Amino acid sequence: MDTSLMSSPGVMMLFGLSPILALGLGGLLLMLAEAFGRPVVAHALEAQAIGAQPAGPEGQIVDAGAGRAAELALGAAVILFAGAIFSVALWLVGPENVTATERVAPYLLIDRFSVFFSFVVCLGGGIAALLAGGYLPEHRIERGEFFPLLVFCTLGAQALAAAGDLLSLFVALETMSLGVYCLVGLRRTSVRASEAALKYFLLGSFAAALMLFGAALLYGATGRTDLAGIGEAIAGLSGDGLEGRAAQILIALALLIVGLAFKVGAVPFHMWTPDAYEGAPTPTTGFMAVAVKTAAVAVLLRVLLVVFADERLGSWGTGWPPVLATIAVLSMFIANFIAGRQESVKRMLAYSSIAHAGYVFIGVVATSRSVDAQASVLFYLLTYTVSTLGAFGALILAGRYRAEAVSYEDLAGFGRRHPAAALAFSFFLISLAGVPPTAGFFGKLYVFKAAIQGELYWLVVLGLINSVIGAYYYLKVLVFMYMREPKPGAPFATPMRSGYVATALVIAACFVLGLGILPDTALEAAVAAVLGG
Amino acid sequence: MLETYLPLFLLFVVALVIGGAMFTLGHFVGRKPLGPEQAMPYECGNDTRGGRDVKLTVKFYLTAILFVVFDIEVVFIYPWATLFKSLGWVGFATMSAFIVALGVALVYVWRKGALEWES
Amino acid sequence: MSPAARAFFEAAPYVAAFVIGALIPRRSSVLERLAVGIVGALSVLALKGLWPDAAAPVTEKADEWPHLLNVVVFMPFVGAIALLFLPRQSPKFLQRFTLTVLGLNFFVSLFLLGATMTRGWHFQYITEWIPSLGIRYHVAIDGVSLWMVLLTTFTTPIAAYVAFGSVRKRIKDLCFAFLLLHGAMLGAFVALDLFLFFVFWELMLIPMLLMIGVWGGLERIKAAYKFFLYTMIGSMMMLAAILYVVWTHYELAGYLTFDYLALSKVTLPRTAAWLCYAGFSLAFLIKVPVFPFHTWLPDAHVQAPTGGSIILAAVLLKLGTYGYIRFCMGMFAGPAAHAATTLAGLVIAMGIFYGALVAWKQDDVKRLVAYSSVAHMGFVMLGVFAATQSGVEGALLQMINHGVSSGALFLLVGVIYDRRHTRMVREFGGLAKVMPVYAAVFILITMSSIGVPGTNGFVGEFMVIMGTFASNHLGAFSHLHGGLAAAGVILAAVYMLSVVQKMFFGPLTNEKNANLSDMNVRESVAMAPLIALVFLIGFFPSLFLNRMSDSVTATLDRYIEGRIAWSQGAGAEGASLRERRGGPLETGYPLPPSSTRAVAAMDGKEAH
Repeated sequence: MDTSLMSSPGVMMLFGLSPILALGLGGLLLMLAEAFGRPVVAHALEAQAIGAQPAGPEGQIVDAGAGRAAELALGAAVILFAGAIFSVALWLVGPENVTATERVAPYLLIDRFSVFFSFVVCLGGGIAALLAGGYLPEHRIERGEFFPLLVFCTLGAQALAAAGDLLSLFVALETMSLGVYCLVGLRRTSVRASEAALKYFLLGSFAAALMLFGAALLYGATGRTDLAGIGEAIAGLSGDGLEGRAAQILIALALLIVGLAFKVGAVPFHMWTPDAYEGAPTPTTGFMAVAVKTAAVAVLLRVLLVVFADERLGSWGTGWPPVLATIAVLSMFIANFIAGRQESVKRMLAYSSIAHAGYVFIGVVATSRSVDAQASVLFYLLTYTVSTLGAFGALILAGRYRAEAVSYEDLAGFGRRHPAAALAFSFFLISLAGVPPTAGFFGKLYVFKAAIQGELYWLVVLGLINSVIGAYYYLKVLVFMYMREPKPGAPFATPMRSGYVATALVIAACFVLGLGILPDTALEAAVAAVLGG
Repeated sequence: MLETYLPLFLLFVVALVIGGAMFTLGHFVGRKPLGPEQAMPYECGNDTRGGRDVKLTVKFYLTAILFVVFDIEVVFIYPWATLFKSLGWVGFATMSAFIVALGVALVYVWRKGALEWES
Repeated sequence: MSPAARAFFEAAPYVAAFVIGALIPRRSSVLERLAVGIVGALSVLALKGLWPDAAAPVTEKADEWPHLLNVVVFMPFVGAIALLFLPRQSPKFLQRFTLTVLGLNFFVSLFLLGATMTRGWHFQYITEWIPSLGIRYHVAIDGVSLWMVLLTTFTTPIAAYVAFGSVRKRIKDLCFAFLLLHGAMLGAFVALDLFLFFVFWELMLIPMLLMIGVWGGLERIKAAYKFFLYTMIGSMMMLAAILYVVWTHYELAGYLTFDYLALSKVTLPRTAAWLCYAGFSLAFLIKVPVFPFHTWLPDAHVQAPTGGSIILAAVLLKLGTYGYIRFCMGMFAGPAAHAATTLAGLVIAMGIFYGALVAWKQDDVKRLVAYSSVAHMGFVMLGVFAATQSGVEGALLQMINHGVSSGALFLLVGVIYDRRHTRMVREFGGLAKVMPVYAAVFILITMSSIGVPGTNGFVGEFMVIMGTFASNHLGAFSHLHGGLAAAGVILAAVYMLSVVQKMFFGPLTNEKNANLSDMNVRESVAMAPLIALVFLIGFFPSLFLNRMSDSVTATLDRYIEGRIAWSQGAGAEGASLRERRGGPLETGYPLPPSSTRAVAAMDGKEAH
């Protein structure tokens, strides 16, 4: 019975799609739960949302709402972690053994590559959901929509990493982006948040339009929409056929790179990043920095290596590698220098995420010359996901309502007053700085190793120089937490108490430490994700 | 390469010429309005009043957006319906899932109070 | 003799030392007596371990317990983790706990003396760590690192003990930092896998940074930044070089490894060899520190609390010289040999002379000691660059000496600082009348620092100068360099003696000093082992030298070999792999993985 069940294509199909389906169904359920579960406090909260004084003592309303948001957060986290677990299960069985999913190809390619990304994205989303479970009630942003939106965004990110066709790629990209626009503007009464959301929305739509234009040109040049088919068609072009279409294909390449670099937030397409990151609620910021970026890099890898893998386009002389190398160098230098000059820790983390995009791009560039590079990008994204979310989580933990830790000054003396929270913060920052024995170090090491393998020595040296520059501003947080005392009378950060945030930090810390000390399994998984073996 | 786009370009030109010609010809050839009734935007119904920059309540937009959303979703059903037999049960199940998702969205909108005009 | 009687005779010296130690302190608690007693017993044990006869007559390696190094390295880490779960509210308990762990660590490390330091690696332990990148956990010691390990385990308890006397805030963090730093330093000295080495090397940064930044003086934050960024720049360049060498080895041999034994077989192309040498030596020379990378040191020293300064001077700087001997000379003999003459000139002019002159002009005693470190480390590096048997042995001995004497000096500066909260020389004068014991100890350590015969400093400096004079690696300059270095010794006398004269003799000018109390029990207890070591090394240097000579010879043999190969044009035609010789120096050589790993398979060039 069991064997026949397992061999039935329908069940196998369900199993193959289980990470995606879990998020889709879970998101719908969460929507219903959100809609049916909040009859009482709605009015009070709406009153609060438009800025009126809440009736009665503040505590009551907050408690009533807090319970609800917390339940939703738990639900979202369960759904997202379930997605991650399904990904792991699928990985263990091996997506190549689940042949039934070939029926959805090329719209969704369920291969090891996409399952790896599905895991990373779900993990990031799950941690972000837990963070939100603590953050939203604390900061009186009682908006239950957050959680279904988060789940659907993650779904979009998953689908984006799995997309093997221009159509599904664009749909997935928009599924992800539209949700994130809303998440950014969640704090409706804040001018900053509205500005951030609008900026992000306008520029994001513009980038999406550029990408769509690129996709259309590709279709025009080759008559195909599936990535593999386009790749073959381009590889098959020669002589007159090439003559006529070369310009078209190059423009398409440029447009796609611009569109995706925008989503990644790499210099010079980073202008929206600091504002959007700063204006958004911190869990959203963490999610954007992690899942959106990861999925965008995934699709970039797919596009570059499947569509533009052709020798004429993927080579150093005539193709995309020098373009991406330029983006990488600019991202690292500009972001690191600006980050060093920030007053706000959140903004610093925003710039730091741009700089990390630069490191990732070193790996992407190296894919043109070294086979290991692709795996290094995957591994880097995993380490970056846990470290960054951890850092944002620690920042969340460091602030209470109306006393959010914003500037470095707010954190002065934090290490003495709250050693555990400060220790966690330092730990994630050290990982971001790439100091062993943390995950971040291995990520960098692997990327640089791949780049050396690809004989891109100068990129490695520039990357290492940037690691030092980057270490400076991560260190600055440590310096303020441990070595400075708050000025008399100045506000200082008090950590909030939230089991959710604590749990999220513990999960992130386990990953950071685990990947830092015993990265072998993850390394091999990254390699397997690329080789498909 | 550009030759392939020639028909498209011609189409553009034709569209522009015809559209432009209609306007211009109408201006010169057409009869001028005879009375105030004929100058009105609508020959029947209420008179238009007030300036153009009047602020509408946001409810109109919400309703309009909801209408567009659900309307567009219905468009997806047409191609499916034409291929209903060849798609078989798989197609049916897929479309059912789609309808269920739509239904959930409708319920959500309803519960959230977006369909209530007065609130 | 019956076993019981033998046991009695065996135990007698320890018991005696314990009893004497416990009786010495007047008017102190039981616990303090106990501590002094244990220190006494440990000293006897150390002495017994050092004694030539005590070392077992050429034992088989099988007798060495392979986990000994693991225990030594990981004991502090385990202690640090355990510390996290201890209550913050009872600082006394935390301090005792930390000292117990450190003391126990010293005790365990003494067993390292049980092995005869023959050519090759001892107490080797290897296990796979990250197979997909060819990274192994590979630790071992030879005659060079043995002393570094012992120096570390010996100095850190003293430093911690001193620090606990003067630091009053955030004791738990301090204990944690001490244990973490201790473990990382030990790990860096014993690691033979470059990756492992790098991990420990970087791991030292954060606790030291905190130590300077949290418990330091007024300018501590600037000093902390400076320390961190200087070291970080060096280590990043080293990381790039490591990755390059690893990759070259992979292309030649077909499998990934970070192992020192394998990587030292790689002959790089000429330019690459120079660059990689530069990457490594930059990291180490910053740490030593050598002019012009030395500017972080005075700041760090001055701002760090006394305990931190002791660790910094006694151990952390040694990582630079140790690293240079082990990695720069071991892996890039050609470039190292070519740069040696220039660098030797640099350390003489800008280390020994400039360091001494700057030290002379310092008003702050701690700053003076810091600059004297630059000068002393100049001697060490000179011996290393000379690359003769006596030069390198002298350098190693001088490393221990410097650890002892500068550690002691910082401790003594700390003593006066705790009483007067100033370190300015002009604030003192005629202290010998008020604090006779303190003055005597200070003068004794000064002697050691200057290198008066009979103290440890003499032996080290003498050997270094002798080695320099006879060095044929320095070519025509060897005599000049030797002569100049000898002249440099005089400068050391100038600045040390002038500060002694100003501080201790003459009339008691400042009345604030009139009522200063002499050294207390805690300070004396911390000083005693250092003083004992001054004379021990001074009179019986061979106790130390005969354990290191074989390893030094082996190091030099390979260095000379590499130098000859370089001058015959090695690496001129691209990278190559020298053949393996086998023998004790290559036990534990990493072999290609039996199953073709995914990473190796990716390149299409299968491992042969």
